[in-house]
Amino acid sequence: MTDIVVALRKITKTFPGIKANDGVDFELRKGEIHTLLGENGAGKSTLMNIIDGIYQPDSGEIEINGKKVHIKSPSDAMKNGIGMIHQHFMLVDSLTVLENVLLGLTSAGFYVDKKKVAAKITAISDRYNLGIDPFTKIWQLSVGEQQRVEVIKTLFRGAQILILDEPTAVLAPQEVEETFKIYRQMVQEGKSIIFISHKLNEIMDISDRITVLRKGKAIGTVDKDKTSEKDLAKMMVGREILFRLERGPLNRGEKILQVENVKALNDKGLTALNGITFDIYGGEIFGLAGIAGNGQKILSDVIAGLRKSISGSVYIDGKDLTNANPKEIFEQGLSYVPPDRLKVGLVPNLSSSDNAVLRHYNREPISRNTFINYTEVENYTDHLIKNYDIKVPRKDAPVKFLSGGNMQKLLLAREISEKPKLLVVVHPTRGLDIGAMEFIRTVLLRERDNGVAILLISEDLDEIFMISDRIGVIHDGRILDIVDIEQAKVERIGLLMAGLDEKSTQ
Amino acid sequence: MIGLIIGALVIASKGTNPFTAYKALIMGAFGSSYALSETLVTATPLIIISAGLIMVFNMKFWNIGAYGQYIMGAIFSSFFALNSAPTTSPFLLLTMMSIAGIIGGALWALIPALLKLVWEVNEVVTTLLLNYVALFVLKYFMYGPWRDPASHGFPLSKMFSPNAQLPIILNHTRIHFGIVFGIIIVLVIYVIIKKTRFGYENRVIGENNIAANYAGINIFKNTLIAMAVSGGIAGLAGMTQISGVIHMLQLEINPNYGYTAIIVAWLAALNPIAVLVIAILIGGIEAGGYHIQMIMHVPFGIVGVIESSILFALLGGEIFKTYRIDFRRRR
Amino acid sequence: MTEQSSILVTLSASAVRSGTILLFPTLGEIITERSGVINLGIEGMMIIGALFGFITGNLTHSPYIGFLVGMLAGGLTSLIHAFISITLRGNQIVSGLALTIFGLGLTNFFGQDWINKKFTIPVSSIAIPGLSKIPVIGPVLFNQDIFVYFSYILVVFMWFVLFKTRTGIHLRALGENAQAAGAMGVEVNKSRYWWTFFGGLMAGAGGAYLTLVYAPFWLDGITAGRGWIAVALVIFAMWNPLYAVIGAYLFGGIDSVQFQLQASGTTIPSSLLNMQPYLMTFIVVIAATIVLRKRHIGTPRELGIPYSREEK
Repeated sequence: MTDIVVALRKITKTFPGIKANDGVDFELRKGEIHTLLGENGAGKSTLMNIIDGIYQPDSGEIEINGKKVHIKSPSDAMKNGIGMIHQHFMLVDSLTVLENVLLGLTSAGFYVDKKKVAAKITAISDRYNLGIDPFTKIWQLSVGEQQRVEVIKTLFRGAQILILDEPTAVLAPQEVEETFKIYRQMVQEGKSIIFISHKLNEIMDISDRITVLRKGKAIGTVDKDKTSEKDLAKMMVGREILFRLERGPLNRGEKILQVENVKALNDKGLTALNGITFDIYGGEIFGLAGIAGNGQKILSDVIAGLRKSISGSVYIDGKDLTNANPKEIFEQGLSYVPPDRLKVGLVPNLSSSDNAVLRHYNREPISRNTFINYTEVENYTDHLIKNYDIKVPRKDAPVKFLSGGNMQKLLLAREISEKPKLLVVVHPTRGLDIGAMEFIRTVLLRERDNGVAILLISEDLDEIFMISDRIGVIHDGRILDIVDIEQAKVERIGLLMAGLDEKSTQ
Repeated sequence: MIGLIIGALVIASKGTNPFTAYKALIMGAFGSSYALSETLVTATPLIIISAGLIMVFNMKFWNIGAYGQYIMGAIFSSFFALNSAPTTSPFLLLTMMSIAGIIGGALWALIPALLKLVWEVNEVVTTLLLNYVALFVLKYFMYGPWRDPASHGFPLSKMFSPNAQLPIILNHTRIHFGIVFGIIIVLVIYVIIKKTRFGYENRVIGENNIAANYAGINIFKNTLIAMAVSGGIAGLAGMTQISGVIHMLQLEINPNYGYTAIIVAWLAALNPIAVLVIAILIGGIEAGGYHIQMIMHVPFGIVGVIESSILFALLGGEIFKTYRIDFRRRR
Repeated sequence: MTEQSSILVTLSASAVRSGTILLFPTLGEIITERSGVINLGIEGMMIIGALFGFITGNLTHSPYIGFLVGMLAGGLTSLIHAFISITLRGNQIVSGLALTIFGLGLTNFFGQDWINKKFTIPVSSIAIPGLSKIPVIGPVLFNQDIFVYFSYILVVFMWFVLFKTRTGIHLRALGENAQAAGAMGVEVNKSRYWWTFFGGLMAGAGGAYLTLVYAPFWLDGITAGRGWIAVALVIFAMWNPLYAVIGAYLFGGIDSVQFQLQASGTTIPSSLLNMQPYLMTFIVVIAATIVLRKRHIGTPRELGIPYSREEK
């Protein structure tokens, strides 16, 4: 059939310890919007990076317009009419739109007739109603506008097939609507789009067909008209939660964390938390589920004192610690495993030992008066390494050379070894292999049984169900609902994550 | 090695036999007890300044201003040397001079530190420009108020009174008490950066500001203290040089030690104890350099060529160190 | 023309010549830094250009060949820095300092026999017909030597390349977001080599102009920190070739004024006059940094960060 513009046959791609794609079949028809749906780590991005030539598949074939091709690089992909828009934009902030478009143009000569190129950009912009002025600098544009610049870049280079990697993750709701209009117009003109997302409502809005990936495998392809959000949620999550890790009965202690009507802004000065209220008690794990970018990181930073809230309050063990500094909050019994290990939690170029004591280098017995006792530091590091089964080839080598799993174990070990009252962990198992994942979850459960209050923020719904006692769902800076684990249903949580309350869908 | 080869090529290009020159250089550095003593005299300011620089390089604060801090230390301490009653006891006078030297260097170092902390002004540029400003301040005093009327117009101050001179610690040499300062400072700095909270905190600041904040470290305070210490030590080096070697303030007080000390600190991999060894080696190259300039008329500039080439080799070699660990991990 | 105004014109013309020494290396470093490499070795490259330009000029009796060889010497010196910081990804700040020490040492070594020798072939001024007749501006700007005219052309040409051509877009992208530039098919490291080399050529040009035209003689350490002033002027110029002109002539002006004052036998100590260019640069750098911070523009974002394709 000639109307198949992209066909993937039995694509397999393995990374050390992980089978990211496992015999995936996928077809894109001319003039359709085909969505790839799946949880984080399901293998969507890997698959698309293979089409775009960033990765090479271990096995399997790619056909473009019926012809078998080998795509070795993004510029190869471009020659085949494929343009990918990444989640992280490939734009140079201090340059203008025009200059960014020119950056990728290999055909242009030394001197560029800016007027001509600008006219062409304006033509594309007008045609799809993008509203982009070629002479604006990138940093002056909103994230949504920057994304449209990426669209212009690909169209300018003559792409017929567009891959959009979670384009809506960074957009405000009204921007999403506008963006979708653009996509619809593009497919009407014969272009084809692969759309990656895990937001069910959007998928139902924009797609023609949907292929669901789970744990590297293609679960199935369905027409939009013959499915529903509920079905998709089930396909994506896969099953009722099959197993739970062994744990003792819930033994609720006192209220440890109290968050009241907290509001906070993100780096761009937009509201990211819009009145968050919840409590966590000793001895329970509170799982906060939600899709990336709905305020989770902001919330954890506010609690840990790394970001200021603009209103509301945070109490830990009855003490008002709203906007206190990180040290004070730590002293009050908070331990924090931040989402960005190497930026906040660890110092990449310092040794494992130095990193092991980052939080309590100034406490006895590691430190007396102004001195640090490095024998104690070593002992302490050894103790962590042994108790948490961390594989550290050399304690004095920079910590950045450890594997992700061992880095995370070290970080977690450091944070909980000080017997916290409250433990905030964000994506504790993201990017780790299965062994490390299980180990970390077991440790969290053990801390729970020791009476620690735990806030688990994760995008992995399995994980949330596996170890939480209560589940809250965050969406767009609000907590939509909090339910006990016994009453929690995967489908409903999935819908809430997508911002849909059950009532509104019925 | 590479440094020596490049040096040899440069020497040979001028028609001098590089092996003869190197032999003479080594003789001039370590070949006799006199040569050895001169090497130690040269190494003294290098030891002192490098130890101080390690303090701030450790936190990735690029103090290139030891040159100027050294000069300011010399000027401040000269004030006491030139203006105290000749009857002041040597101990009291030398203590005052030392403190003045430290204060002079520290103040000069605090200017770029504050500019960096408050307005993020590039410290490489500010410390460097202040070096030249300091040089002209020295020139001002030497051609102005502090010039000895008996110097026949030369930019020299009066000779310091014996009480303002650091004692020679080994007879018949020029090795002075400054080397004792040097050893003490090396040990103290070693303890500070390797054994104390302050040293630990500074390492974290140098690598990751966000993590430092997360760990509750006061970046502002630590940077100021470290810079004051670093500059103060460079100032003390200036004091020991004029008080221990030159015995007067003059236009030529070898502030270039401030730059050479950067090489020493770097070659010592920012380890204060290693500074003792490296400073003596580099001191040897410098002393040997003077020697071959005297006897073979090989210009002293060859020393800079050799030193910088060694540093180039070291900088270029660091990537292999990183790769080795990286490679091991991947296996 | 009154006597005062004629003094002013003479002074300004000499300010332009003095500023030209700074203008070349500042332009070069602007380009190098725009590409994401910081080369603090300007002082070293300048003095190497100064000496080898001077020697060649004397041997060939041609200021032009001397100037070209001086440029080339600076360019070749810069390749040491390029190799260490781009290929081997060593510390760029320390490497630049080492380059300065290298240059000062090397020229001390080879310059020994040339100290206080003069370059006796004058480079005559060429009055540009028409333009040189404009009052004040004419004699100041358009009755200069060929090298000054060369610097004018360079300024305009570089501004044009930087802001009007694809090469310029690549160049600016390199220092801001090498990853994006790489993804768009720009050969990051190869380009950085070229721009670092260009910076070296310019530093060499500044040095050669100093010893062949401005001084014109050789002294050990003759550049006297001008390389560092150039580093500071890059910040003042906000990485823009046009502003570099203002900065360079301003400091050329300070230089000639203090020189004139000394010659006229003022009572101000010469040390304090000599200090002015450095002190002024110091103050201007602080002011420029504060202004840049307020306007959220400044240093190329990835300045001094080595690039490797595998690292994300």
